[in-house]
Amino acid sequence: MSQKRQRNSVPNSRILAPRLTGKVVYRPESQIRRPRQLLWEMWRDLLASRELAWRLLVRDLSAQYRQSFLGVFWAFLPPIVTALGFTLARNNGVVNIGETNIPYPAYVMFSMALWQTFVESLNGPIQAVNQAKPMLAKINFPREAIILAKLGEVFFNFAIKTLLIVGMFILFQVSVSWTVIIAPVALIHLVALGTFLGLFLAPMATLYQDFSRALLMITGFWLFLTPVVFPIPKSGLFGSIVRLNPVTPLLVTVRDLTTTGIVSDPTGFWVVSAIAFVGLFVAWVLYRLSMPFVVERISS
Amino acid sequence: MTSVIEKESTLTSQGDDVVLSVNGVSKKFCRDLKRSLLYGMQDISAEVLGLRQNVDTLRAKEFWALKDVSFQLRKGEALGLVGKNGSGKSTLLRIIAGLIRPDAGSIEVNGRVAPLIALGAGFNPILTGRENVYANMSILGLTKQEIDDRFDEVIDFAEIGEAIDSPVQSYSSGMAARLGFASAIYTAPDILLIDEVLAVGDSRFRGKCFRKLHELRRKNTSFILVSHDSHTILTVCDSAVYLNLGISKAIGNTPEVMQKYEEDLFINDFNAKNGQTYLEQPKSEDSEFSITNIFFRNAKGKKIDSPTSGEDTYLCISCKVDQDIDNVGCSLIFNELATGGESILSMNSYNDRKLLTFTRGEHELQIKLSHLGLRLGVYSLNIYFKRDTLYHLNMFEAFQFQVLSKEVASKSLFYQPREWLLVPNNPSTRFQ
Repeated sequence: MSQKRQRNSVPNSRILAPRLTGKVVYRPESQIRRPRQLLWEMWRDLLASRELAWRLLVRDLSAQYRQSFLGVFWAFLPPIVTALGFTLARNNGVVNIGETNIPYPAYVMFSMALWQTFVESLNGPIQAVNQAKPMLAKINFPREAIILAKLGEVFFNFAIKTLLIVGMFILFQVSVSWTVIIAPVALIHLVALGTFLGLFLAPMATLYQDFSRALLMITGFWLFLTPVVFPIPKSGLFGSIVRLNPVTPLLVTVRDLTTTGIVSDPTGFWVVSAIAFVGLFVAWVLYRLSMPFVVERISS
Repeated sequence: MTSVIEKESTLTSQGDDVVLSVNGVSKKFCRDLKRSLLYGMQDISAEVLGLRQNVDTLRAKEFWALKDVSFQLRKGEALGLVGKNGSGKSTLLRIIAGLIRPDAGSIEVNGRVAPLIALGAGFNPILTGRENVYANMSILGLTKQEIDDRFDEVIDFAEIGEAIDSPVQSYSSGMAARLGFASAIYTAPDILLIDEVLAVGDSRFRGKCFRKLHELRRKNTSFILVSHDSHTILTVCDSAVYLNLGISKAIGNTPEVMQKYEEDLFINDFNAKNGQTYLEQPKSEDSEFSITNIFFRNAKGKKIDSPTSGEDTYLCISCKVDQDIDNVGCSLIFNELATGGESILSMNSYNDRKLLTFTRGEHELQIKLSHLGLRLGVYSLNIYFKRDTLYHLNMFEAFQFQVLSKEVASKSLFYQPREWLLVPNNPSTRFQ
């Protein structure tokens, strides 16, 4: 859709959602041929989505927890269970895991919480588009809103996990450095990486189910290429793979900022962050361009 | 494509009250799922690489859902979109709403578009009706303040009552649809696209909806109404577009377009070959009383293929009888084929106190129908002959015929002969 806009047209009563007033032209030609207009529309839709995203977030969270007896307790459970499992395995020599700089159970639980946040942000856009299929096919609303709503869910879930982490740290008497204040910033970078990959895959994943299945399989395996249940290997082939894993620097930095205060791999962190943010922007453009074609191929 | 354009409209939308201008829009789809997904990927790549342009050719297994459709909509105007199932109406609405992209042509929209294509999109069944109204109206583009302002009106209009605070999954489908409709209609758009959703609710609610739509029209909201009910389109819309397999067969003022639509819909399915459809062979086993022919004559007695609505017509049944039979009664039941085959007219010679006596030989029974009341359409007739009201002589079922019409498609369900008179101030003197 290439759209021309004349601002002196119909006076609009909606400051937050001015997108569909004024003159709009729909043509078959690629929107990418009019980059300035495309960018303007993206910005406009992002602004217009804020309130809608909030409302969708409230709707989805209410619905999720209303039908659940244990409610928010479910956000705690997975990290606890994984931590128990691995601690048990390690203590009994079943797996050979090195020493971690904080007590192992706390290490696993904290890292699992971070890893899960990454996986949620990765699956977020794909799930968001899937859940919104009935709406997408029938109403023209700013599609950024569903992505933002899912992001909100990811951060909400992490906030609940924070309670667990704080509890853990107190229990194991882990010392926390003053840099914990900037740790959330690094977390945002981690979420950005996940969202970039998820958003990039989302249009194709809606057409072909192969993508979701492959993703499920890959994330299962990916866990073991990230220093979540083990510390970073110092050497060896495996160590190199772990270090090349883009999630590693981001996850490790969050952990470092929270515990030791010394960032072990700043270069890696900044390189991956740059890739994440640039990639996120590119994925956004692709998402915008491809969604109308996805909408016409899914059921109406 | 026949265009009966009543106002002279140019294709540029520089007229200041043109809110929607559709110019040569085409759209193609693919029926094969796997291939369709593949084409989807191709289209996405073409878009991203900047290669997409006006398309004129079809890839394998594709078909044109819309081909070269053009029309305009002005402020406060109501346009009807008619066509059989699968003619491209919903596709056209989705392109106007900006949901999918045209393959050729362009659309200019000047104003806020609210599609009433699905009611209750965005409803989450676990949440209450109240929460869902907020969610739904938010998706339709309103801010919280605006929703707050209209909230009470929406609830009143939907007539949900106390169930507004129960989860939507406990609603009947009618309640959910009414809530969806109410929230959509209060978004006060400039252009409202209504895709066959006016069938929800009982007739009282439907009446309320029409009144509300009428109110919106007075406030200069334009509509595009898609409906299968010709009556609705005739009464609500000023102009209409008739789509058949994606091509616009007629555009212009409603009665003419509806005439063409109804002709195509009813009569083209009916292969009326001259005289052959109602000639039949005498059945060998009914030697006592057999029906040899059924046809129509016009007022002058001349045999015709199809009667015309409003004219004097004779329904003629030729019979061959091999002995004298008296006290015969004839029963006729007319069913209208187009609107579901309901029985709309029945006549019985016994009830009309006319006893028929047949002597041995061939006869023609003529039933004079003055000012034939049947309207344009296709009908099916069942004829029964009985003696002494009980003894079954013979019958013929499902005799199909079509009725033509002189006047342009009327809003009436039947023809009423009438005369218009203007008399001086003492009307009772006329009726002496």
